[in-house]
Amino acid sequence: MNTKLYINHCFMSNKIKLSIVGFGRMGLTHYSIINSRPDVEIESIVDTSPIVLTMMNKYLPIKTYKDYNELFETSKPDAILVCTPPNLHYDIIEKAFRSGIHVFAEKPFTTKYEEAIRLKNLFDSSELVNQVGYVNRFNDVFVKTKELLDDGVIGKVIRFKSEMFSCTITKSDDASGWRASRESGGGAIFEMASHAIDLVNYLIGKPDKVVGSSVSQIYSKAVEDAMSTTLLYKCGTSGTIYINWSDPSYRKPTNKIEIFGDKGRILADQHSIKIFANKADIEHNLREGWNTLYITDIFKPVPFYVRGNEFTRQLYHFVDCIQDRSLNNQCTFEDGANVHEMIDKIFSDYEINGKF
Amino acid sequence: MGKIDNIIFGDNQFFGINHMSQEKAQQLSEKFFDTNNIYKVYDIAFDSGIKAVMLNSNDRAKEICNHFRENKSKYSSINWYPSIPYPHKYANLVAEKGILPAINDVLFKDNSAMGVIGMMAKGGSAVLGKDAIKLMQMLIDVEMKIYKGLNVKAVFLQNIVTDLILGFEIKEIFFEYCEYIKKKYNAIPGLITQNMPHLLNKLKEWDIKEVVICSSYNKIGYLMSPDVVSYSEAAASNNPEDYQLMAMSTLASGAITAKEAYEFINNQNIQSVVFGASSKNHIAETVKLITI
Repeated sequence: MNTKLYINHCFMSNKIKLSIVGFGRMGLTHYSIINSRPDVEIESIVDTSPIVLTMMNKYLPIKTYKDYNELFETSKPDAILVCTPPNLHYDIIEKAFRSGIHVFAEKPFTTKYEEAIRLKNLFDSSELVNQVGYVNRFNDVFVKTKELLDDGVIGKVIRFKSEMFSCTITKSDDASGWRASRESGGGAIFEMASHAIDLVNYLIGKPDKVVGSSVSQIYSKAVEDAMSTTLLYKCGTSGTIYINWSDPSYRKPTNKIEIFGDKGRILADQHSIKIFANKADIEHNLREGWNTLYITDIFKPVPFYVRGNEFTRQLYHFVDCIQDRSLNNQCTFEDGANVHEMIDKIFSDYEINGKF
Repeated sequence: MGKIDNIIFGDNQFFGINHMSQEKAQQLSEKFFDTNNIYKVYDIAFDSGIKAVMLNSNDRAKEICNHFRENKSKYSSINWYPSIPYPHKYANLVAEKGILPAINDVLFKDNSAMGVIGMMAKGGSAVLGKDAIKLMQMLIDVEMKIYKGLNVKAVFLQNIVTDLILGFEIKEIFFEYCEYIKKKYNAIPGLITQNMPHLLNKLKEWDIKEVVICSSYNKIGYLMSPDVVSYSEAAASNNPEDYQLMAMSTLASGAITAKEAYEFINNQNIQSVVFGASSKNHIAETVKLITI
């Protein structure tokens, strides 16, 4: 939103009343970020943990609920941020819809493709803003990569390779908590590959076919820790995804994508974009051969920083879309459902073709 | 408030941290896998006239602190500026277990028996009793154990924590943090932030003074929210008796040359610069260029 419009909204419209449902790591982060918007008032939080609620009650000027049903029964926020374990998303979002509430849902959107589609259809039939937390769509580097691809800088995309690594799970543990079961939305595919899949959907488009999928358990007992798959498109494009969250050689999560086109090649990670241009491209200021755009060349600062520009930009976009309904949301429930369609195909490909 | 050193030697270069390039980060991480290579660089820095070190409480910091403690007579004039906690340790633990079990793990699993007994006595009720302040003090003690016996001048809270709490606007936590660092560690409380102007305003509003604020500070505004102009204005009107300002990321991960970077920095109302480098020439050049 431009500054003038933003200031107008701050003075002219009432504050958006917001509730955060689920107050774990993402709930905490989102609270801190969105609390910096002058046109948002956080009214309440919902969490099942009495310790969390008592602590927040002590320090924050908000209402607390231990059950989201209680929230919907006793108050009507304008918008909610859904940050619970993913298997609860469907019920919460469906109830929010019935109350006419705008919804931002953390990823993965749901745990089942059918549920994701149902929610998409519900919200498509209304004017309610709906957004899923695939934060890469707001990352400076990946936004720039998208711009370069859409401008045809590397021509027609022929091949790509999307990879994510981290040292999140590096020892065996007792399988407990929601992250330890696929039914509740745990595992490296829901939690990590969903980002890589969405990045492919965002940059290149939704693949038409999934082949050669394999999943590996490294430390986890009930869910997967690594996955690779091949994605095919009717137009002839193809690519691979490989993710592994049990690789201790990575100090922090790493996300990279390599795209080969008939006019050049792009290598992008969170820090930089390297572009090999087959021919010089004056319009984009690219010389023939290798060019590098660093994050320091392309970043756009945000008003308040907690955990990377993209996290702030993502939530500000959600609020902007509520304030100005003419804006197109950059990561809708439809985008969330598209990720689940691919996840279903990957699991099913592995079940049918990947097991001995 | 005691005056902080105007040049402080940072640690990012040792631990594979480079905001600009993952490849570069990887190369450095390999080079400094052998801790002796880290000590060599520290000696070069000290020979260049630097007398202060900022060190994050990451998993290798313990070994480094042991080295300096064991050779204390040789390094008696060095001031230490710990930054706590090591965020990735918590991020991974929280991702694996959830927030409360992760805190429980840090407090009760990762510590020697002696430490745990003391902490249990002090904080047994904290974990169950929902007292955020006590919990924070216990976490500080866990992180600070490795620096025991070193000349700690200031203790910094990492930006991920500072900015998270800043967003929550909880005065009490900042106040109690500062008091605890002053009283228990006899050190100056420090806060690292990516939102310096906002933090400065809030601290003034809350009347929390005698704090060091460390933030990215470079002429292109990299990792500076909301923008470079707001930083310059906030610094210009700041009274260093209340808040000493420390600049980090002065080269914006290498996007700016050292000469250009410090021409800018030297004209800002800043009391200190923390920088990292691994070659003798870079260290000497930087020390020469900083004239704040």
